[in-house]
Amino acid sequence: MNTKLESIVSAAKSSWAAEQASGRIRFMVTRDTSSLARGADETIAKLNAAVASKKLVADVGITGSWGFCWMEPCVTVRSAAGTHTILYGNVTPDRVDEFIETIAAGKDMPELALGVVEGNPTSDIPLLGDHPFMQGQVRRVMANIGKIDPENIDHYLANDGYAGFGKAIELDAEGIVKEVLDSGLGGRAGGGFPAGRKWDFLRSATTSPRYLVCNADEGDPGAWVNRIVMEGDPHLIVEGMLIAALAGHADEGYIYVRYEYPLAFARMQKAVEQAYARGLLGKNILGTGKDFELIVFLGAGAYVCGEETGLINSIDGYRGMPRIKLPFPAQAGLWNKPTNVNNVESYANAPMIMRNGAHWWSSISDAKEKGTKMFTFSGSVNWAGCVEVPFGATIGHVIDQWCGGMREGRTLKGFQPGGPLSGLATANRSLTLTLDPYRELGMFLGGGGIVFFDQHTCTVDMCSFFLGFCEDESCGRCTTCHGGTQRAVEIIRRIQAGGGREVDLQNLQKLVGTLVWSNCFHGQFAMTTIKTAMKAFADEWREHIIDKRCRAGACRDLDSGMVTRAPVAELALAGTSGPRPASTPVRLARGGHRPGR
Amino acid sequence: MTVDPDLRELRELVAEFEPNRGHVLPALHKVQNTYGYVPRPAFEVIARQLNSTAALIYGAATFYSDFRLHPPAETEVAWCCGPACRVLGGDRIREALQEELGIGFHEQTDDHKIGLHVGQCVGTCHEAPQIWVNGKVEGNLTPESARALARGLKGDAE
Repeated sequence: MNTKLESIVSAAKSSWAAEQASGRIRFMVTRDTSSLARGADETIAKLNAAVASKKLVADVGITGSWGFCWMEPCVTVRSAAGTHTILYGNVTPDRVDEFIETIAAGKDMPELALGVVEGNPTSDIPLLGDHPFMQGQVRRVMANIGKIDPENIDHYLANDGYAGFGKAIELDAEGIVKEVLDSGLGGRAGGGFPAGRKWDFLRSATTSPRYLVCNADEGDPGAWVNRIVMEGDPHLIVEGMLIAALAGHADEGYIYVRYEYPLAFARMQKAVEQAYARGLLGKNILGTGKDFELIVFLGAGAYVCGEETGLINSIDGYRGMPRIKLPFPAQAGLWNKPTNVNNVESYANAPMIMRNGAHWWSSISDAKEKGTKMFTFSGSVNWAGCVEVPFGATIGHVIDQWCGGMREGRTLKGFQPGGPLSGLATANRSLTLTLDPYRELGMFLGGGGIVFFDQHTCTVDMCSFFLGFCEDESCGRCTTCHGGTQRAVEIIRRIQAGGGREVDLQNLQKLVGTLVWSNCFHGQFAMTTIKTAMKAFADEWREHIIDKRCRAGACRDLDSGMVTRAPVAELALAGTSGPRPASTPVRLARGGHRPGR
Repeated sequence: MTVDPDLRELRELVAEFEPNRGHVLPALHKVQNTYGYVPRPAFEVIARQLNSTAALIYGAATFYSDFRLHPPAETEVAWCCGPACRVLGGDRIREALQEELGIGFHEQTDDHKIGLHVGQCVGTCHEAPQIWVNGKVEGNLTPESARALARGLKGDAE
């Protein structure tokens, strides 16, 4: 191992050990966008006040999200002796006083406990691994999230951080590419293109300088997996990009973070500055003679900049309009030089592949897709959270195990597998979380943001919403896309207003066939939602057009054909008022059924 | 009305940037962070500093939804347009807000106290349906609570 890295790591390990052996109780409060929305800063302030007033003898730190987003703020409490750590959820500002009293009295608080992270289960609190949400999860990218302070490089270094980079230094570029190719790591944004092959394109490029880009413009509404990684373990991305830089002989890297993620941007910036300070970035990295500059770049609010060439044009200071391929970015990307673009999660997997080997990394999945994938779930389900699981679980299993079932009074009508371009699927509970089944349906499994909807959701209305989004976000280059989405939105809104004509279905079908000739993915896939919805929910479309009826009651210019005839406003009330999951005592299932592997 | 900043102040603000196309967005961000919006003269000033043209800078700025060309309202309300909010009744929240505030998206009340915008999903879908009031999440809304909130904002403004 590189001697400089060795000395950085051992210094970090001793400072980590000193922190752990402080002899004080240690609180680690989740501080990410989700927990801030639920009052995390107030919780942290109250904990700090309790420490200042000597009510508690404790250290208070921050961490990333455990994925229990619907129960934020989460707090781990490590006993003074360091033998026992418990994770608590829903430590909201209104409950934190009671929480502090209880902990100060030397007791546990089973009604808020999610599980025991370290040590033995108690009579009231089972192991965290037994929580239904945690069962079947394999946390690799998320291994450190919730346990380390994302703003402290020592915490990362002390927990195997930069060890993968240490291994990569000892290999040549071909060796790194081979390891990543052998692992079978596929692009994590939905395409599934082998990352190793992309890196090999960059390695074999003939010009320089060469650039790396990390696509952190996670624009798909309903997806926040990249945010969880950036806010929870930013150094993982820095390390992944360093490894890719070695593999592709890259000179400079850009992490393009979307404007809507200010905290992720701040954390990435901090991580990069810390890495520079330790000599892990910049000139002559760790004395190896290699240089790599890394820049965190803030977007400005454009969905289409998630398309790789749109993103490149955005860094380039132009309007973020996707370029015409060819040439591919691998030949002429940023500043017209060879460029490799990967998703956050793709880079975040590289350190583990280098550290533990391709064989270890790919051994987890029985499916064709190797390794683990992070998903976020939201919509008509009880729990809106983030999981990391092997590929291949069924949708039914996802809902029952990781989403806490459907919300009361709501039955599954369908779901959207990943972003507004991915399409709408029916309530087929046996569909698996792998790439192929969706391809066969003419849709795709996107970046991991799955949104479930129920009988109170109208699929025509959903199409109107998603097409409206695609219309707004079209860059305007191709007439097929900007004009096509406008026509489609006009037609759907007319149908919703009661002016549906039978020919509309044919016209929409024509638009489906036209938009695929657009230049970039945005236009090519903008009609996926309509295409799949007209097929999967054909009855509903005919009802809207011919009977002028909306069974879900969402299109209010039409007759409501719903059985209950309750207006949607009231249903929304029924679903969201009353006690939040926040204030209900948490009961943990014991030995619930495990995923089928 | 807000008066545009003078040119010297603007020039000093963007003095750190170089003739590099990669500095366009960072320069625009810096101006917006300082003034809350990108004032008209900034395009020319940034263009000179970056050895570019005002047309290119203006073209870039107007592509993105998060660069404002006019001063923000005192209270900026953003309605989340995400699918989870939509599924849980977000469109009724939009109606309630627009009715109660009497303005549409990208508009401000006549006294420039309240502005309404479309916000993009950031994955706080556990709070759906939600809005942001000056960046702070107000979640689990019903049309009634959204109306009450909007009335409260108007009351504060008066």
